Amino acid sequence: MSIAPGAAAQALAGRLHAFLAAHVDDARDIRIENLAPITAGNARQTWEFDARWIGGEGERKVRCVMLRKAGAGQLETDLAIEFKTVRELWGSGVPVARALWIDAEGNCLEGPSFVMERVAGTTDLLPLLKPEGATQSRAIARQLAVVAARLHTLDWRRMGVDFLLPTTPETAAAQQTSYWEALFLKHRMEPHPVMVAAFIWLREHQPIARRISIVHGDFRLGNVLYEEDRINAMLDWEMVHFGDPVEDLAWAYRSLWSPQSFSLDEFVRRYTELSGIQVDPETLLFYRLLGEVKHSIISLTGARSFADGRTRNLFLADRASTITAYLQQFLEWLPEYKTKDEPGNQS
Amino acid sequence: MTKPSIGDLLAGVAASLREAVLPEIPAGPTRRQIQVAISIIRRASRAWERVGPYLYADNKDIEATLHHVSALLKRAKSDDASLKLLGQKMLTALDPRGGAEMEYPSPAALSARNVELQGLLVELQETLHTPSARDFAERTEIVGMLRALFRRMLARELEVNAPEPARK
Repeated sequence: MSIAPGAAAQALAGRLHAFLAAHVDDARDIRIENLAPITAGNARQTWEFDARWIGGEGERKVRCVMLRKAGAGQLETDLAIEFKTVRELWGSGVPVARALWIDAEGNCLEGPSFVMERVAGTTDLLPLLKPEGATQSRAIARQLAVVAARLHTLDWRRMGVDFLLPTTPETAAAQQTSYWEALFLKHRMEPHPVMVAAFIWLREHQPIARRISIVHGDFRLGNVLYEEDRINAMLDWEMVHFGDPVEDLAWAYRSLWSPQSFSLDEFVRRYTELSGIQVDPETLLFYRLLGEVKHSIISLTGARSFADGRTRNLFLADRASTITAYLQQFLEWLPEYKTKDEPGNQS
Repeated sequence: MTKPSIGDLLAGVAASLREAVLPEIPAGPTRRQIQVAISIIRRASRAWERVGPYLYADNKDIEATLHHVSALLKRAKSDDASLKLLGQKMLTALDPRGGAEMEYPSPAALSARNVELQGLLVELQETLHTPSARDFAERTEIVGMLRALFRRMLARELEVNAPEPARK
């Protein structure tokens, strides 16, 4: 039996067959094998399968992963932007999976989806956060700095990424602040005076970027596909945008998932050595503060989707209860409230 | 009072689900959803009896802070119309004769009052950050008072509303 049991899997296999027939030139005898769900994440579902067909170059077999956007969730992003970005990054030196085909409207695959070539490795974060995984975690975090340096120094003007919203050093921080504030105003279920205070502070302390780069937007260990101590691919480009590269460094070191075995100080030093990009401490602080607010809004969006009945995913039901701790961190890190955990210490 | 209490009942339901139902469900998305549901029920069992006192304390703290703020807003120059108006609006909202005070307010009444007070805090901040209020002498003092209030509010909320710690 090569298809996962269940009516949903059987139906999906048929849809994938039709999808490939429409997208692969001169393909015949198409077969979808070993179809199985990998995850049912908060934002999307992931399936793996092997695609076989006979074409002009003879018999082909491609091991694939399909990402399908969940109906409603914690992010409001366009899958086509992620697909096109990954396709443009293929061969750039930034490790990504090869993007193959997209069903942007979701007409074939029961929701906006795209298919990538499968890359070996795991995304399991837990072993990297345990004390016994320190050596492996340190090696991967060091490589993460290499990936960041490579991504942020790409000459994007020579790439076909003009579908990303343009920005400037003067407006990059404001653009991100406005983006998340608009989502906050759309999804809040109470006035939220602390969040309002946070946005006022962010609006009044926006740094000027030293350069504009392609920013991953969800750059962290949890989005790394790794094997032993090697990064094989960066995943989840759904929040990609043009912006200040420091944003990715700050996000990688949110306390929830920061690699303890390789401090932020070490990461920034290595990143600067590799990229030549200087990281201004005040800019780093701004983006760490924005990170707390951004994660709050992601949680709020998920909770609102559940509250409105647009999703029945229980992972999102209670997400709003996480916001309090994020905002508490925000207030603790504010320059007026310097404490022992103030991020300028970076330890 | 009927026993078991709502909190005890929810805690018992969560324990039954974890001990008797979960082991029967194979690994996969359905099992993970059930695990999340158990966590939410456990959190609700801990929070339900604290919500009323939490909202009562939160409302009292916000009201006390806004009383101080409205006294400071009275000092605004006569041409700071928005600040004066806001000060009057706050005094009206804080006036116990306005009917906001009940001897035994229900959680729903406390929650509605909390949302009303949160709204005043938002309006206050937005007004303080308009260009016309920039030169208001007491602005920095009020912003400091609000920051201190926000820290107390978050600490109080975290006591009641902290997410369920991850189970090993």
